[in-house]
Amino acid sequence: MTQRTLECSGLRKVFDDLVAVDDVGFHIDAGETYGLLGPNGAGKTTSISMISGLLMRDGGTVTVGGREMTTTSTDAKALLGLVPQDIAVYPDLTARENLTFFGRLYDMDGKTLKARADEVLEIIGLSDRADDRTEDFSGGMKRRLNIGIGLLHKPALLILDEPTVGVDPQSRNAILESVEHLSREGMAVLYTTHYMEEAERLCDRVGIIDHGQIKAEGTRRELVQMVGQHDRVRLETTGSVDAAVAALDALDGVAKSDGGDGSIELLVIEAGEHLTEILSVVTESGVAVSGVDIDEPNLESVFLHLTGRALRD
Amino acid sequence: MKSFTIAAVNLKRFVRDRSNVFFVFIFPMLLILVLGSAFGGDFQARLGVIAESEDPLAQDLVTRLQAIETVAVVEADSAEGALRSVERGELEAAVIIPADYDEAIGSGRTVSVEFLARSAQEASSLRSNVESAITQQAVVLRAARFAESEGLATFDAALSTATATEGFIGDVSVDVVAVGEAFALDELGQFDSSAQTQLLLFVFLTSLAGSSALIQTRRLGVARRMIATPTQVRNVLVGEGLGRFAVALVQGLFIMIGTWLIFGVDWGDPILATVILLLFSLVGSGAAMLMGAVFSNDEQAGGMGVLLGLGLAALGGCMMPLQVFELIAPGLYTVAHITPHAWGLEAFDSIVLSNGTFTDIAVFLLILVGYAVVFYALAIWRLRVVLTR
Ligand SMILES: Nc1ncnc2c1ncn2[C@@H]1O[C@H](COP(=O)(O)OP(=O)(O)OP(=O)(O)O)[C@@H](O)[C@H]1O
Ligand SMILES: [Mg+2]
Repeated sequence: MTQRTLECSGLRKVFDDLVAVDDVGFHIDAGETYGLLGPNGAGKTTSISMISGLLMRDGGTVTVGGREMTTTSTDAKALLGLVPQDIAVYPDLTARENLTFFGRLYDMDGKTLKARADEVLEIIGLSDRADDRTEDFSGGMKRRLNIGIGLLHKPALLILDEPTVGVDPQSRNAILESVEHLSREGMAVLYTTHYMEEAERLCDRVGIIDHGQIKAEGTRRELVQMVGQHDRVRLETTGSVDAAVAALDALDGVAKSDGGDGSIELLVIEAGEHLTEILSVVTESGVAVSGVDIDEPNLESVFLHLTGRALRD
Repeated sequence: MKSFTIAAVNLKRFVRDRSNVFFVFIFPMLLILVLGSAFGGDFQARLGVIAESEDPLAQDLVTRLQAIETVAVVEADSAEGALRSVERGELEAAVIIPADYDEAIGSGRTVSVEFLARSAQEASSLRSNVESAITQQAVVLRAARFAESEGLATFDAALSTATATEGFIGDVSVDVVAVGEAFALDELGQFDSSAQTQLLLFVFLTSLAGSSALIQTRRLGVARRMIATPTQVRNVLVGEGLGRFAVALVQGLFIMIGTWLIFGVDWGDPILATVILLLFSLVGSGAAMLMGAVFSNDEQAGGMGVLLGLGLAALGGCMMPLQVFELIAPGLYTVAHITPHAWGLEAFDSIVLSNGTFTDIAVFLLILVGYAVVFYALAIWRLRVVLTR
């Protein structure tokens, strides 16, 4: 029997009255990338904090490489690299000094540490800025360093909490590529995001999380099949969409609809057949339509299907 | 080991900030100079002089007293006023030259000059100053008498005449009168006592300011990130604390060595003095860590630090001698010993005043260790709660 790199179940966290995480559980094997996809406040960071032994849990178990994780388990933490959502580096130290500092905390030292720091600087593309203070870095460079610190000791499990937020497309692509590379090398990766595209590109399996609960889990194909033979229709709109959404819900063939700022998302059976009808209903409700997109179902449609809400940035 | 790694980074960041270099090296130096000019170097004992006579010999004695370099003569109007000033500590001592001073000396009677001080020992050096002034006056008087009676004479004749004239000149005795209660510490110069209290006040105050380092590490998210590595909360806290401890220790040593070199301040046995400073810095850094774990905002912690730093120092006897407390309100002396400052001062008093040995101050040192342990333990507990709750 192979050992799971991460195994967690029944995770629960309550802040005062708010149940932030409720019965979350999943597992990740070596070389596998698992995505937690969910909107703001879904409970991604809270789950990750419990998994990485940063936060006391109100219930559930976590093992990393077979070792039980608690807030004091140093042996389990040694297997884990965490890239926190908010950049956590010393601004008055250089990139190299930050790396060296955290490397020491991971029990690395001497030549090994120095060589590995150079290697990581190469991976995150900061070799030429290695000896500059990080306070002078751009947001994207800081993010890359933030990730670099998590990679330093070649952890068995790498946890990245929305690592691409606020990053330019180029840096973002570089980050995604290095995650893919690490995964190929056998690292288990836990990746949270609210970008559907990232989850689709990177993750072998995805857990869709909302209101502290995992609503569904599986490969992209498995998840999309849950939506059935629906197409995803997206209308670019101007004006208040509430009335239009109500009217659309009553329409034959429309499985789910959700209106937002400047757009309406729909799940429709045989979109081609119903499109004219949909457009006239929307226009009758006083909404002008400036664009229409019809797509195969994707993870966003899954989210809409499961929660009745669109997954928005 | 982890703690040392964290302490090293803490110090590296501290040193990198220019304003901190000022804080560690230049500020204490300024403090030494200010303290030195206020209390050290040209410190003069204040001697009240009441001359109840305008006669030449009495006035001559006043002039002689004024000429002594280490004495600042304050001419007082009445014996009662001088007495009160001595009791209050505004004057170190006072001398009363009686109205019949000249007449008594002229007629060969013994005359008493009263010397008022809080305790006989306390003003002993001042007293010998007064006595030597009187002796000098007597010598000149005898010589004058001799010259007047004999004119030029042979050595033998001069000697016998001088001996013979002795009977004509009245003896002056200095009667020491102790007034009030002796509370100042015997033999302890004013600067010395002040240097030790200032050291404790300063070291504690600046240690508390170090709480902002921990708060910053927390706010940057680095503290949590450290907990995600195989590092325990206690290592994080001890590491941050050690950094601040090192800063406090360096500052303290700087003050000690500086005042010793420049003003000759007596710190007692240098090793014991260093041990006291070391433990006191440890207490200070522990208190800073506790504040850094409790407050999550720099300004709050800063304001609180100044308040506590000055408040505890005042309560602990750094602004007014502990012995005075007992005079003001019985029991206050005991209350003062809630503060680590009071114990630090007890230890310093012991090694500076009575050549106390390690055994003599062991209890005080142990109590300081106790403070440090309690502060650090509370801080670790609190930090664990705020980081992992
Ligand atoms: N320390 C805390 N105290 C109280 N409530 C908290 C705390 N941390 C998180 N929460 C709440 O728990 C819920 C889940 O938050 P969490 O940060 O896990 O969401 P998230 O999925 O990471 O969101 P985002 O995409 O915005 O990062 C939110 O409602 C949040 O307000
Ligand atoms: Mg989050």
